Order: sequence, then structure tokens, then C-alpha cells
Amino acid sequence: MPGPGLIRDYLAALAAQLPAPIVSELADGLDQTHRHYLGQGLDPDAAAEAAVTEFGQPNEILAAFVQASPARYAARRLLATGPLVGLCWAMVLIANRAWTWPAPLIARIAPGVLLITATAMLARAAFGKYYRPARRAATAGCMGVAVLDVTMLTVAILIAPAIIWPVVIATVVSAARITFSVRALRSVLAG
Amino acid sequence: MRAEELKGHLDALLLAALEDGPRHGYAVIEALRSSTGGRLDLPTGTMYPALRRLEQAGLIKGSWSIVAGRQRREYRLTSAGARALEGKRADWRDFAAMVSAALEGRSCPDPA
Repeated sequence: MPGPGLIRDYLAALAAQLPAPIVSELADGLDQTHRHYLGQGLDPDAAAEAAVTEFGQPNEILAAFVQASPARYAARRLLATGPLVGLCWAMVLIANRAWTWPAPLIARIAPGVLLITATAMLARAAFGKYYRPARRAATAGCMGVAVLDVTMLTVAILIAPAIIWPVVIATVVSAARITFSVRALRSVLAG
Repeated sequence: MRAEELKGHLDALLLAALEDGPRHGYAVIEALRSSTGGRLDLPTGTMYPALRRLEQAGLIKGSWSIVAGRQRREYRLTSAGARALEGKRADWRDFAAMVSAALEGRSCPDPA
């Protein structure tokens, strides 16, 4: 945005951490605030200082965006509902005596590794203080959770010997979580 | 009014500012300033994340347009947002009536 250096520096501090569409909206608002003060008779530098003061400290704005970010929203919801989904699948595995299935070691370990990695990514997104790292972590976490759910649904279809009520419940819960994860991923990538 | 006192009511104030029609961020802030008699004392930059949060909750909808050669994001109230605003208004009336009654030493009227 053309204008006094103070406003350029201010926007540069925000642009270092926020996605371009958000910075574009803030730049428009700051430009209008600057024009408002110019209209009151202030010189360009004084108007820029007044506009920046009215907008608030960059750290305060960045913190507010992190709190309102789709990444934090999605990660906290997935973390909160994770134990319920895990319990549903644990019941399926126990009911089907999963430890007796003829699965290779890698197939037994991989879902656990994926679960731990996705949970760590979601925790980073849910409690992180910086917008972009939280966004990346939420993207990885949402994808990890979706892949995990698809894996468990595939296992249920291919290996579980019988359609029993825990399978039905876990399938419904996982399908709902896949839908949420995909929607959340779109929202995280958009914002 | 202090920022902390306002924060709890910011969502309702932002929704009310969009009740008369779509507005872009700066116009929302101007409308709020006007409707609060200039006593709004929040850093205006923090209104933008609040608008994003309301959009994420489906209470408002944002869209981009080009105005005078630059991109501008405009927000409008959704039907869910209009319902939420009505709910917040009713809650506020009940709350204000209760606190006023308690502070003035009279009994609180029954909610309608």
C-alpha cells in the first residue's frame, strides 16, 4: 500500500505472520482510517500515527487473529472429540479380538504412529501463539485425522468379521469426523 | 467504556452494526462508533478478527469486491446471525432489567 513509512512498517509486521487476504483487508481499513485523519486536517505523518494508534499494537491484533483462526477452532474441536472416536474404535477392536487378526507388524503400528502425530499437530494448532505455524499444524492434523478415519473404516469393512453395533457406531462417528475434517481443512486453507 | 467491559458484548454489537445491510470492516467500526456515541474504546484492528470469528460461526458472510481499484471485504448478516442477534438482545434486556432492579433495590420484573 502506498503511504507513509509508518503504515508500511506496520503492515509489514502483520504480513510477516498473517495470510495475504487478511493483510489486504487490514490494509484497506488502515487506509480508510488514515484518510479519515487526513480529512480532519492532520498532515500525512500525523494522520498515519493517529491511524496506527487507533488500530492497536500489531501483537494485540496478531493474538486476536490467532484466537479467532479457523486452525485453532478446528484443532480444539478435533482434540475434544478425539477420545470419543477412539473409544468407539477401541470397542470395535476389542469386540473383534483384533489382536488375533493376521496383520503384519507395520499395519499394527502405523495407525498408532499416525494417531500420535495427528494429535501432536492438532495440539500445536490449538495452543500455538503464531498464526502460520498453527495453520500448517492444523492442516497436517486435519489430514492425519481424515486418513486415520478412512483407514479404520477400511479395516472395519475388510477385516472385521461381523457387522455388530460397535462397528455401526464407530462408522457413523468416523464418517461425521471425516466430513468435519474436510470442511475444517477447506476453512483453514482459505483463512 | 473500558475495553474489558465491551469485549463480552462485542459479538452482539458487531451483529447489530450489520443489521441495516452489508458493510465493510471500516464501515462496521464507524457504525459502532456512531451507535455508541463515540465511547467505543477498543483497538479497531481487533474488530477484524472478531468479524472473521463471526463469519466462521456462520453468523455473518464475507465477500470480496473491488472498490476504487482496491480489494474490499464486505460482510452481511446471515439468517442465523439475525436469529443470534435477536437472542442476544433478549438476553441483554433480561440481564439489564435484573441488574437495574438489584442496584435500585426493587424486585426484578418477570421475564416476558
